[in-house]
Amino acid sequence: MFSFQTIVENLPTLLGAARYTLLISVLGCAQGLILGALLCAAALSKRTALRRAAGLYVSFFRGVPLLIQLLVAYYLLPVVGINVPPLAAAVLTVGLCAAAYLSEVLRGSINAIPKGQAEAALAIGMSPGDLWVRVLLPQALKIGLPAIVNELILLVKASSLVTVVGIVEITRMSQSIASSTYRYLEIYLAAAFLYLAINLVIAAAGRLLERRLTV
Amino acid sequence: MSLEPTATSPASAHLRAVNKFYGDFQALKDITLDIPPGKVTCLIGPSGSGKSTLLRCINFLEEYDSGEVRIDDRLIGYETPGGKRMSGRRLREMRCDIGMVFQQFNLWPHMTALQNVAEGLERVRGLKRAEATARAREALAKVGLADKEANHPSRLSGGQQQRVAIARAIAMQPRIMLFDEPTSALDPELVGEVLAVMKQLAAEGMTMVVVTHEMGFAAHVADRVVFMERGELVAAGAPREIFQHPTDQRLASFLQGYRERNSLDF
Amino acid sequence: MLEMLHRYGPDLLTGFGLTLLTWVLGTVGGLVLGFFLEMARRFGPRFWIGWPIRAYVEFIRGTPFLVQLFVLYYGGPLIGLRLDALPAGVLGLSLYGAAYFTEILRAGFDAVPKGQIEAARAIGLPGRTIVWRIMLPVMMVSALPALVNFAIILTKETVILSMITVPEIMFQTQTMMSETFAFVLPILILALFFWGFVEVISRFGRRLERRFTHYLLEES
Repeated sequence: MFSFQTIVENLPTLLGAARYTLLISVLGCAQGLILGALLCAAALSKRTALRRAAGLYVSFFRGVPLLIQLLVAYYLLPVVGINVPPLAAAVLTVGLCAAAYLSEVLRGSINAIPKGQAEAALAIGMSPGDLWVRVLLPQALKIGLPAIVNELILLVKASSLVTVVGIVEITRMSQSIASSTYRYLEIYLAAAFLYLAINLVIAAAGRLLERRLTV
Repeated sequence: MSLEPTATSPASAHLRAVNKFYGDFQALKDITLDIPPGKVTCLIGPSGSGKSTLLRCINFLEEYDSGEVRIDDRLIGYETPGGKRMSGRRLREMRCDIGMVFQQFNLWPHMTALQNVAEGLERVRGLKRAEATARAREALAKVGLADKEANHPSRLSGGQQQRVAIARAIAMQPRIMLFDEPTSALDPELVGEVLAVMKQLAAEGMTMVVVTHEMGFAAHVADRVVFMERGELVAAGAPREIFQHPTDQRLASFLQGYRERNSLDF
Repeated sequence: MLEMLHRYGPDLLTGFGLTLLTWVLGTVGGLVLGFFLEMARRFGPRFWIGWPIRAYVEFIRGTPFLVQLFVLYYGGPLIGLRLDALPAGVLGLSLYGAAYFTEILRAGFDAVPKGQIEAARAIGLPGRTIVWRIMLPVMMVSALPALVNFAIILTKETVILSMITVPEIMFQTQTMMSETFAFVLPILILALFFWGFVEVISRFGRRLERRFTHYLLEES
């Protein structure tokens, strides 16, 4: 029999674990935005070497499954003598991966900004750094907002994979509850709907923010 | 499905008290109109007057809400007046006797001119590939495009595309043809070639209903001109009555406006 | 190193094969199911078909694939769905892919100019012919890049099947790593494999795109 009782009893524990899901995806997204902006600047730079490097980075992190990237961080980093705590390793890896996708989002957005604006900024003697921070990025963030929100939702889902490096977020927690209660269907469904709820809230918040920014 | 044409004589069409609503907006108000067989009927009027809606009711692309539309004596769209919708099969059967030409040509972009024309012959009339191709070639030759059969629409001018669309319709051997502003999307220098094909069809005795802004065509080719405004049928008659002796005030001011815009006389 | 390859070579090959197999079956299954969902949604009753499909798509797109697999593989037996890891993985991939594919197909069908469908109806083409002969080829121009792109995303999702013990390439390399404590070679193999895999699919996709759009480019 389907047991709602089990779900109700274990929901608080799952909600507690959701903190880690949110922590990893939000921090990962923030890191991805910062690194993504740098990558995007490199991709749009006049220097061929910088453009190549950015291209290589993006194609590697988009081409190799995140699960493999996580295992690289987990197994390889200690081998080369870098010992980071699992949580930091998870955020870092998720962020590195997100940066690849977000740099493409930002690049598309910056291409959508009329060229004349950059020329106008340079014409009044603005430094390239100021041009990026004060003119291009604020607009790119606004134009790319729907895609950035979408990326955050992808990260919430992708964060389920950090179970492999031993962080007890929603999925890992539901695994351990399920194996001790033998209520697999109920617990995993509860976990699924928890993710769904988080993502619906993020999507709604994104739409709200979008409307705020456009008015 | 095999639907060999049963008769090739031109058909007549009859509308009785036809009404059409889009929500609260009434697009057609109580339209009663007879389309005589073998004649050219032109529908004129300002945009938004319901001409195209009326035309599209004749092959039931637009579903009228009340009244009757008949091809000869066969009701189209419903089993009985105001009754159940007719089956898809019977509707298709009726539609392949009604050719239609659209403002935007609506050729299928992934097929060549020949394939565009042969498609219906094969899939609706049920002809063998070879026979469908032969008949499609005849139709293309008739509109003067025999040499363009292998071109895709993207490689044809607007006028050529519209002629292929006409070939697609006539290849089906329809008994009545509907033209929905066939030249409105064309550059002015390409209008003539399409009108010429239409004149030729008219001369062969095809029943034609033409929604048009080409007053010259209406004046010289039509047997009957119908003026519509705001969903109502305002005036109908021979071209001479309509263009030279308009009795209705709205028709007169519509023609006045047209003459001023085009600064020509007919 | 050679010795290791010799020892694990057969397992790795099995892994490659299973990854390819699950991807092909999952993609084809997802496309077919996604197409049926779109047809049901487009031509079926809005309330009884449209809403459940909408909910299904939202559920799949709002939850992690890993959790969906767990629900199917570990939760399935409670409702009498007892599957081995491999069929469960393929079914899971198909169900997952279908939700995304159906949305891509929907956008594609919506982009087919209405007039081209009306022209088909006006000469009496039956609905099924219109879908196969007119709508599908026309929509492929706009939908194919997105379809190929998602097929590529699916290659990366196949590694998640290792989490329910499907012995595909990820599973095999993990076994290899835990037994030999060698990390560099296995990870290199994995990375190379995926890089090549994705490259092959995108090339194939571009060729397919050319086939469907040749009529836009041809010289007269």
